[in-house]
Amino acid sequence: MDFALTEEQQDVQQLAAKILAQEVTVDRLKTVEAGKERFDEALWQQLAEAGLLGVAISETYGGMGYDFETLCLLIEEVGKTVAAVPVVPVLASAALTVQQFGDAQHCDRWLPGVARGERLLTAALTEPSADDPSHPTTRLEQKGDAWTLHGEKNMVVCADRADAVLLTARLDDELVLLAINPAAANVKLISQHVTTGEPQFSMALDGVSVSNDDFIARGADASCAVRSMLQLTLTANSVMTLGVTDTMLSMTAAYTSQREQFGRPIATFQAVSHRAADAYIDVQNLRLATQQAASLLSAQLDATEAVTIAKIWACDVAHRVSQSAQHLHGGIGVDRDYPLFRFCLWAKQLELTLGGGNSYLTALGDAIAEDFKQREGVG
Amino acid sequence: MNVALTPAQLTLRDEIRNYMDAIMTPELLAELLGEQREGGGPQHRKALQQMGSDGWIVRSWPREYGGQDAGPIEQYIFCDEVIRAGFPYPFLTTDGVGPVLAAVASDEIRESVVSPILRGECVIAIGYSEPAAGTDLASLTTRAERKGDKWVINGQKIWTSYGNVADYVWLAARTDPHAAKKHQGISMFLVPTSAPGFSFTPISTLGVRTNATYYENIELEDKWQVGPLNQGWRMITEQLNRERLSLVNHGPCELLYEQVASWATRMDAGNGAGKVIDLPWVRTNLAKVKSGLEVLRLVCFKQAWSMSHSNLGMDEASAAKIYGSEFFVEAWRLLLEIVGQAGVLCSDSEGAVLQGSLEHRYRSGSVLTFGGGTNEVQRDIVAAAGLLMPRYR
Repeated sequence: MDFALTEEQQDVQQLAAKILAQEVTVDRLKTVEAGKERFDEALWQQLAEAGLLGVAISETYGGMGYDFETLCLLIEEVGKTVAAVPVVPVLASAALTVQQFGDAQHCDRWLPGVARGERLLTAALTEPSADDPSHPTTRLEQKGDAWTLHGEKNMVVCADRADAVLLTARLDDELVLLAINPAAANVKLISQHVTTGEPQFSMALDGVSVSNDDFIARGADASCAVRSMLQLTLTANSVMTLGVTDTMLSMTAAYTSQREQFGRPIATFQAVSHRAADAYIDVQNLRLATQQAASLLSAQLDATEAVTIAKIWACDVAHRVSQSAQHLHGGIGVDRDYPLFRFCLWAKQLELTLGGGNSYLTALGDAIAEDFKQREGVG
Repeated sequence: MNVALTPAQLTLRDEIRNYMDAIMTPELLAELLGEQREGGGPQHRKALQQMGSDGWIVRSWPREYGGQDAGPIEQYIFCDEVIRAGFPYPFLTTDGVGPVLAAVASDEIRESVVSPILRGECVIAIGYSEPAAGTDLASLTTRAERKGDKWVINGQKIWTSYGNVADYVWLAARTDPHAAKKHQGISMFLVPTSAPGFSFTPISTLGVRTNATYYENIELEDKWQVGPLNQGWRMITEQLNRERLSLVNHGPCELLYEQVASWATRMDAGNGAGKVIDLPWVRTNLAKVKSGLEVLRLVCFKQAWSMSHSNLGMDEASAAKIYGSEFFVEAWRLLLEIVGQAGVLCSDSEGAVLQGSLEHRYRSGSVLTFGGGTNEVQRDIVAAAGLLMPRYR
């Protein structure tokens, strides 16, 4: 048992923190948000130059070759600054899935470009009528040696800039994981306006032709790949939540320590400091839950339960810390000239991404019931 | 980062679990269901001596006392398994006061007290709280006055758990009533419960039995005053820090969670609804306990890991205490809901579920939110040490 970061991990963390703290000022965020899309192209390139986009991409494909846990350190720092860079969908959901489940051609085609900041991969994990990518309604139809894709995905981050979108479909009863070029014929992207302003798109697939090269995995391999992609995404989002809530907490401590009412800093009222203390406990607990999930995933051990528990905590902590931060800031907390509001928006979006906490409590309860039925030999 | 226990630590856990299975004889279990639930009965004394002679008590101690210098993680595993087994282990004696005595007491006291502690033959009660000095402990008024070459002790302590069976009370008394600040001028004494002038009366609480203890003109030789004169406050706070590993450990809750889940898997829900565990709300309750418990386990091991790197912050320790104590209250409620109405059947009742352990837990659980440093004070510490927020003076 060791909760310490390795030296390499500390280096990655410090490098990410330094670049993000330097670049992601409030003015920078305002400029990016005033532009066409909430995507900070210059920052993305800077992260690429520093090698950080390739932190978990193998050295074979031009990355640093570290594990998922190390990538999580970058994601946490992005969460702390709410920088306009899609690290979770591109680096965790898509790139790591291609690296683990794609063939050498797929990896060659995309991963060096992702590490250099020249290519973008993303993942489509939801449909308007299906939350679970293992059970898509999108279907692949076979005609001779050719396939066509029919269905609809939504809330796909950066689909407009992506070279390929990972998505699932059904081929008769078989699950398939595909990489689809969003610029291909019969793909229609419609921009969606989401609470944080993150660029997201619905993606209508109306007879898109699919070739052999587009298959990342089929059948049992696809189930395995999708499960892994979901676990990586859930954990990465929980880590991002950790960063977001960590900053809300420190902003709250700083603000209440200098804001005076009745002739003294409001932090000296226990009603205030105790609510902040509860938020501190929440953030620390979320940190431990995400560390466990990330370290199990990095070690390729069974992380199903740990990922679910981290997600449950992330949802609760996102909500509670965000409400406490807004409340303890008073009016200034909701003023869009003060930076807190962005973190509140991200907290809610992350809480609901891939479903809210109660759906995961239900899933955990079902898994517990199954486990105890086996232990007790009850059918 | 690696949050799993090492193979050696897992082996240790299994070794202690098996060992404790053997320690918990039917005779001891019967004794612990009765009046002497908190320990101190003949079977309990016998088992403690067995653990002493098998070398378990000394294990976490430094090598110079014959120990193995077991690290905080190993010591946490030991605490957790012993408490999980339901054995009322006198941690305050073995891990709280004992090491302090070994470090600062005279050779004579070491011989006559420390050695018996390590053999499992000596139990020490803690005499800090007074009727008017609880959270504000430094305002204590029990006094020790110098008369000739003796100390004379007068005062009253409250919540002296084990005071009825202990061999000594580890007593905080005021030795300098004129000290500039009230936490100065306090010294520590080891009071033999056989001394004339010592007495106790039982306090029956919602959960457990404890005592009020009285000190009436107790005359003590100077050797029973332990540590630097008038500097007892530091020894008290150091001893409170040593409690950390045994205060909110996860094992007992994990055991009850597993027992309730197994019970719910075996029991019919009635009305053709399958087993109790098939009810959606039962699964949700179990999931809430599980997700809270898993984080408590991580919190406790993180705390032990930080201690092993001499790096445990006050904020981390206080946060663990608040979270654990408040989680327990919630966990007992969620588990009791699953058992339902029969959850209030007591351990000695016909039809009691899981020997009434949940009925006992909910009664004794509330103590932890204020015991061991009330959670309001812990929150003050978290805000000040963890968030650097100013305090009102």
